[in-house]
Amino acid sequence: MMKPGRLVAATLLVICALAAPLPAYIGPGAGFAFLSSFLVFFLTFLLAVFSLIAWPFRFLWRAVRGQRAYRKGPIEQVVVLGLDGMEPTLAEKFMAEGKLPNLARLRKEGSYARLRTTTPAISPVAWSSFTTGTEPSKHNIFDFLSRDPRTYLPDLSSARIGRPKRTLALGRYLIPLSKPEIRGMRKSVPFWKILGDKGIASTILRVPVTFPPDKFKGHMLSGMCAPDLKGSQGTFAFFTEDAEMVRRHEGGVAVLVQRQGDVIRTELSGPEDSLLRRPVEIRLPLTITIDAKAGGAWLALKGHPWFFLREKTFSPWTPVVFKAGLGAKIRGTCRFRIASLGPKFQMYATPLNIDPDKPALPISQPFIYAVYLAKLLGRYITLGEANDTWALNEGALDEAAFLELTYANHAEWEGMLQNALAKTPRGLVAIVFETTDSIQHMFFRYLDKAHPALRAAPARMSPAVIEDLYKKMDDLVGRVAAGLGPKGALFVMSDHGFKSFRRGVNLNAWLHQNGYLSLVEGRTASGEWFKDVDWDRTRAYGLGLGGLYLNLKGREARGTVAPGEEAKALKAEISRKLLALKDVANGPAAVTHVYDRDAVYAGPYKDNAPDLIIGYNEGYRASWDGVTGVVGGAVIEDNPKAWSGDHCIDPALVPGVLFSSLKLKRTDPSIMDVAPTVLELFGIAPPPHMDGRSLVDAGTPAGPAQVKGQGR
Amino acid sequence: MPMAIVNLVFGGIVGAVLWPFRTLSPWAGMVAVSFLTALLMLEVYKLTSNQAAIRRAKDLIKAHLYEMRLYKDDMRITLGAQRAILKANLSYLAANLKPLAVMIVPLVLILAQLSVWYDRAPLRPGQETLVKARLEGTADPVGAGLDLEVPPGLEITAPAVRIPDLHEVVWRIKAVAPGSGRLTVRSGGTALGKAVVVGDGPLRRVSAIASRGSFSKRVLYPGEGPLPAGSPVRSIEILYPAGRLAAFGLNVHWLIAYLVLSIVFGFAFKGVFKVEI
Repeated sequence: MMKPGRLVAATLLVICALAAPLPAYIGPGAGFAFLSSFLVFFLTFLLAVFSLIAWPFRFLWRAVRGQRAYRKGPIEQVVVLGLDGMEPTLAEKFMAEGKLPNLARLRKEGSYARLRTTTPAISPVAWSSFTTGTEPSKHNIFDFLSRDPRTYLPDLSSARIGRPKRTLALGRYLIPLSKPEIRGMRKSVPFWKILGDKGIASTILRVPVTFPPDKFKGHMLSGMCAPDLKGSQGTFAFFTEDAEMVRRHEGGVAVLVQRQGDVIRTELSGPEDSLLRRPVEIRLPLTITIDAKAGGAWLALKGHPWFFLREKTFSPWTPVVFKAGLGAKIRGTCRFRIASLGPKFQMYATPLNIDPDKPALPISQPFIYAVYLAKLLGRYITLGEANDTWALNEGALDEAAFLELTYANHAEWEGMLQNALAKTPRGLVAIVFETTDSIQHMFFRYLDKAHPALRAAPARMSPAVIEDLYKKMDDLVGRVAAGLGPKGALFVMSDHGFKSFRRGVNLNAWLHQNGYLSLVEGRTASGEWFKDVDWDRTRAYGLGLGGLYLNLKGREARGTVAPGEEAKALKAEISRKLLALKDVANGPAAVTHVYDRDAVYAGPYKDNAPDLIIGYNEGYRASWDGVTGVVGGAVIEDNPKAWSGDHCIDPALVPGVLFSSLKLKRTDPSIMDVAPTVLELFGIAPPPHMDGRSLVDAGTPAGPAQVKGQGR
Repeated sequence: MPMAIVNLVFGGIVGAVLWPFRTLSPWAGMVAVSFLTALLMLEVYKLTSNQAAIRRAKDLIKAHLYEMRLYKDDMRITLGAQRAILKANLSYLAANLKPLAVMIVPLVLILAQLSVWYDRAPLRPGQETLVKARLEGTADPVGAGLDLEVPPGLEITAPAVRIPDLHEVVWRIKAVAPGSGRLTVRSGGTALGKAVVVGDGPLRRVSAIASRGSFSKRVLYPGEGPLPAGSPVRSIEILYPAGRLAAFGLNVHWLIAYLVLSIVFGFAFKGVFKVEI
């Protein structure tokens, strides 16, 4: 006797199958629909047959490789939730106040410890150590930025995107004959590759420094460091009638617009047309027709349908197509938000993301994984630095809008996570949420009443923004823990903690004042990227968020410091003086530790590291100007920006957190220990090159604690 | 009367579209009509369909096809994906019901008009065929006293055959010379006219049946006006030879040609119309 459900399903199937011949009688419209439907049924049927035929062979293959691997370990599923920048003191405080019940339960029934971070405590560095189980000089990531010693100019540390090596010049065009160069700079072996080689499935979502995506047997979506369509790390745009706002902007693309009646005609700045010998930026005409009565405006991008956007509302992800030479199309996607219809119109556009529906660059492994997620869950943000902190800094987004956009991004990632958990009941699921990092960067002043930014602009949001953030993350942990199977293990971790960023230290100004860095004759200050630095009289310079480089002979193009004893002595001298740097007379030390790379690193890429890594004191960080090679001005100055919390300080002051559903054998874990621990849980011996050590005994955690979540 | 107006309008439109092609291969007119129909239907489809729902259903189908590829080692996921594909396909079909309901009306009328041009070919000079008069079920063909008169260019080659079981009277006629006219069936005092065409042009309007039947017959056989009431004759049919659309030595049914061409044009121009199908 057939069950009613199956009977209905069978009937529907027959109806659908029989529906196909109908178009012959009701014309092309029906033809389109039913032909497509028929093809889908046919293809599905073929795939089903193929799957059934192939399954026994796959089963045997898995039995030989994969299943044996699962049998070796006590655990079948490991879930790693990365909450970038979760600060242990805050987590501990909120747990003590009973505000984080799920994390508190993990701590009680499993384990909790502060997690030692890397030197320096910067996300790409720390997460690369998580990925590889090694210290930075083995994975070659030391900051967001590296520098080219031939030019003293910065490079992105994580990846290189270059033109194709072979091209054919044809008039004004340059036809590529090979693929463009996309090269990841992170070295060593990610632990999910080791798992994949042993037949253990992994789904890796948005872990930093995974662009270009790793080639391994598993699924991956790139995270932090994946570029936008313009090749940058995120260039937002804002359109405004406020000339003053355009004049003082520092980041993004500011477009001064003029209204004619209710119509504004402008352009959306796109990627360069790399098919041209002399690439030029492609621009897409954008017409904005304001409908004040309806409370919004009609937006029309050339070649795209009109859509209405209400004031103070984000548009959905909007596909945009830029037409390059020779008929090539570059597809992106972005969201718009009209901050104000008047008296001065102002509209924000997110950075142009690579369209996951039709990716212009590889952002997933395999390539179709990104497309699959887009088709299943809808378009999503693909930019590595997803949350637009700079737009908030610039005033292109207000705080409420920033939070709305950030949590919308977070919801997209949660959707991906839920899908990954459902599809990977055995194996590893690892995801990093940068929500925690971004919101703390931008709202930490709400926890610090003495923060200079509060003097520049009073708080507008509830002071509980960060507490709410932690509660939301606790909810997430609860939902994931609730779905954990009996042979599952959950790790919740952050790569570093967070502290207030009140005062910025311009390292290059200090080096200049102390005679280590010289400017060309007649100059008292230098523009960005050492524009007016006299390299022949310069002995050291600072670049990035904590790096200090010697101007070394034989390494830098115009080096002045001899390697060996001279360099060693200079490093010691600078370190000593920096440790003596006081904010004001008898005030706190601005620097608590200076790390010599020769003392902290031992890997093969040590030579690419800064010579000294500055460990700033709590409340301090590299100043905005100093990071970009500006020389001049005060050495220490207030940080008046909304970006008011940071972690690029002495790593000893900003450990992360590690919660586990398992009882761990050590109480002083390092971020490098997570990879060997996961390998151990799957019964795989960690390779000797890993610096981390497993936090569980080989093959025998005494059974994972059964930690189930509690919904809020 | 309203149906006569509708037939007049649609007949006029289809006739006007085909008029420039009447001396060319029948394919030329078929391509033109298919092309214009496809464009019309694309616009109708765009206006009447839930484009978002169609897009979503198609995306889900594609997603689960990718899913089968990505998780090919996992039979549970593969089967789940197949189930999801079938479900999404049903959603897709459901989303198509409204535009189909709207489009079916003009399409049936267009198809009926096309059948007048493509379903039958005119009699060629020298060709013989039958003329059938169908009577009411209660009428006796033997006692009905029906006579057939043919216009110049046609001749009756055999006397009437009366078939009581089928309530039919059948004549054999022969085309003698090209031309068009009307043959007349007399029933008592009533004269019933029926158009007739003899010729060898590539594309001619040929009405096979004159009827005073139901609404559906008026829709499906729009080639000429209805027979008057008051006589026992329900319809008069000339058994014209079938129309021919030859391609690569094969005879293609005009309906299939129309279907394929209109679908091809529809898919080719859906991007121009920005319509999700």
